[in-house]
Amino acid sequence: MSEAREVEIKTRNLGVTFQDNEGNDVAALTGVNLEIMKGEFIALLGPSGCGKTTLLRSIADLQKPTEGDVHIQGMTPKEVRLQKKFGFVFQQPVLFDWRTVKKNVELPMEIMGYSKGERSDRADEMLEMVGLKDFAKHYPKQLSGGMQQRANIARAFGLDPDILLMDEPFSALDEFTKEKLHEDLLRIWRATNKTILFVTHNIQEGVFLSDRVCVLSPHPGRLSAIVDIDLQRPRSLEVKETAHFNELVAKVRGSFEGGSVS
Amino acid sequence: MEYEVKLKKVGRKKTLRQRIKENKSWQNLSTFIWPLVFGLIMIGLWQKEVLHSWFHTDTFTLPLLNKIGGIMGDIHEKLLENTISTVQVAFWGLLIGSLLGYLIAVFVAIFPKVGKGGLSVIGAFASVPVVAMAPVFNNWTKDVSTDAGFRSMVSKIIVVTLICAADMGLNAYRGLTEIKPYSEDLMAIYAAPKRVTLWKLRLPNSVPYVFTALKVSVPASIMTAIVSEYFAEYITGVGRQIRENIVLAQYSTAWAYIATACLIGVVAYIILMVLQSICLKRYH
Amino acid sequence: MKRKIKRIVEKPWFSSIIWILILIALWEVGAVVVSNTKRVPENILPHLHQILGAALSGKTVTADMTATQAVLSSAGLTLFRALLGFFLGAVIGFLFALLMKLSGVIEKMLFPYLMLIQLIPVLGLAPIVLAITGDINVSRVVIASILSFYPVATNTLAGFKSVEKEKYDLMFIYAAKPYYIYTKVLIPAALPYFFTGLKIAAPMAVTASILVDTLQGDGGLGCLLSQSLKHAMSIYVFWLIVFFSAFVGIIISKIIGWIEYGVSPWKRRA
Repeated sequence: MSEAREVEIKTRNLGVTFQDNEGNDVAALTGVNLEIMKGEFIALLGPSGCGKTTLLRSIADLQKPTEGDVHIQGMTPKEVRLQKKFGFVFQQPVLFDWRTVKKNVELPMEIMGYSKGERSDRADEMLEMVGLKDFAKHYPKQLSGGMQQRANIARAFGLDPDILLMDEPFSALDEFTKEKLHEDLLRIWRATNKTILFVTHNIQEGVFLSDRVCVLSPHPGRLSAIVDIDLQRPRSLEVKETAHFNELVAKVRGSFEGGSVS
Repeated sequence: MEYEVKLKKVGRKKTLRQRIKENKSWQNLSTFIWPLVFGLIMIGLWQKEVLHSWFHTDTFTLPLLNKIGGIMGDIHEKLLENTISTVQVAFWGLLIGSLLGYLIAVFVAIFPKVGKGGLSVIGAFASVPVVAMAPVFNNWTKDVSTDAGFRSMVSKIIVVTLICAADMGLNAYRGLTEIKPYSEDLMAIYAAPKRVTLWKLRLPNSVPYVFTALKVSVPASIMTAIVSEYFAEYITGVGRQIRENIVLAQYSTAWAYIATACLIGVVAYIILMVLQSICLKRYH
Repeated sequence: MKRKIKRIVEKPWFSSIIWILILIALWEVGAVVVSNTKRVPENILPHLHQILGAALSGKTVTADMTATQAVLSSAGLTLFRALLGFFLGAVIGFLFALLMKLSGVIEKMLFPYLMLIQLIPVLGLAPIVLAITGDINVSRVVIASILSFYPVATNTLAGFKSVEKEKYDLMFIYAAKPYYIYTKVLIPAALPYFFTGLKIAAPMAVTASILVDTLQGDGGLGCLLSQSLKHAMSIYVFWLIVFFSAFVGIIISKIIGWIEYGVSPWKRRA
């Protein structure tokens, strides 16, 4: 599948070292070499403290690497960011309480100087896509957690970014809402053909969504395995019942060093 | 490839300015140095009479700092005497008012149905200019004692009490009721009587809120004590001395009392902070 | 019928009314005791109906004004100056907070002094401000604005600081210019805090203005208050001022609450 596709993101020997309060160096991430294709859905999977969020933040230019580098479309993360090619979805829906749902979706477009009509049309389109059309005039506090996260995703897609970075976006939601959003996300991804990096600590979630699962291990944080997920597309929830899905889940689980993650 | 190598170098190298900025001990030091710089500039402007020209005034009305300091040394006995008078008023008013406010809050927390409205009435009191009422307490306390100094003090304490009670009542009520979710349910599961819930859960939970209230009411009690001295029958206290000396056009002496008033405020706040760090140790 | 009564009793305003009635009852009990034991009871605690009577009576207390007219005309003067100082203080306080947010160095320089102002009995400085400015009106505005300035500045700064890291990260991802970060994120986020500051500041500004009135006798509520207490005019004028200033203090914080409610539609529909 990947033969004719171009590389979108490339990390070379990427490492991030923090200083703790006593001034000691703590390696959050070391020696990550990763190539991500255009239009690929990548899951970054691992237990807490394995550096998966750090990797995501390094790609997004939110974190300066202390070692190695990141190239995106032949540019630095900063250049890509300044060209506004990133979308970012946080774990918590970072919505602005004083703006309606629609105005929240419009915010990045306001910052980028879209015209009023263009903003409004595009926001309507995005809200329709995530199924929040009827809630455009509501305020975030009036929505459930799942709906807030939908609004958050609508905002990330609003700018039509090349690369969508998602940091455990569904981890605070209940299972039913989560499954619904998984299907929606795959549908939107297929329709828009974005490159998606999806951080998660849930093996099933990673396997179900992605083309490849990148397994990270802690102490120090590093990329320990990459598992190809050759489940057919488009996927529906039924795929979770198949033997192959369970094999892949088992394979990913087995790739954790020491098998310490359940 | 060449481009990548170049980039790598740029990425590594930090300027001296960045290095200094990221250094932890410099960061700690700078929180002291910058205020110090500002303070020294202000002192300089004052001593070189730049402030005087800004405010169109002279060294008679706004004496130089060394002169104020000299006078403070000269009259330190009188300063101390008046400070004690002001601090006594502020302290007793603070103590009685805070206790009163806390008791009201406990009452409201136990009987929420009756109490809640009372709390909004107290809330309304918080926005009443109580200073306007200060003079009448002189009339109230006329028969308390034949000693004018004592009855004056009682009337000043009443004003401070009112100010502190409203503040403490509102904050303590929040502390008694804003309890972590489930802990109230836990008490219910153990079938704990109201008394136990109050003693084991509500009272400990309110301690940080008590300090929130005190952070407002300690400076407020001093300010109120000083202002109520203006209206008091008996001439004593730092605030009254500021006024009396200005009436007599003894501005340097007035400034000595102003400096004392500021010192009282700062010292009281430092004491409060020390108390807080001792009392709230377990809460962090 | 029974249920209807129960529903009314459970309304929050019902217990407020009960408490107001209790306060009135306590006042009246006090007034009865005072009138039986003291020589001049109206100096200590007159009956409420006496105060109301004085408010409504057509008898003049000054050359040409009734008690209510005198209070209202002085109040206009006092409140206007208080309001002027309040606005000035609020604007300066907001700008100060903004400046401290814009520059870390300025924040480090000024923040300890901002705390210090809170500890200085500013009202106690009223006489010296009068001595420096030499003008009663200027000093009124200056004192009122100093008092309003610091609650607004500290609360607004706390509002700026309440913005979560994720929101900054989001703005960073969108490569938003500082102008947008301030107008779209920081200032709206600080708005509720700003209003909290205003609610604390408003009664202080009124208090300050009344106090400065008492320093020099040229009109205003405080001036009227001193005259009344020195028995230069009816003592009931004093009681009217007490009630009037209480009313003003309460109504001003209510008005600020309404304005806040008006400019923040998201609070209406939570």
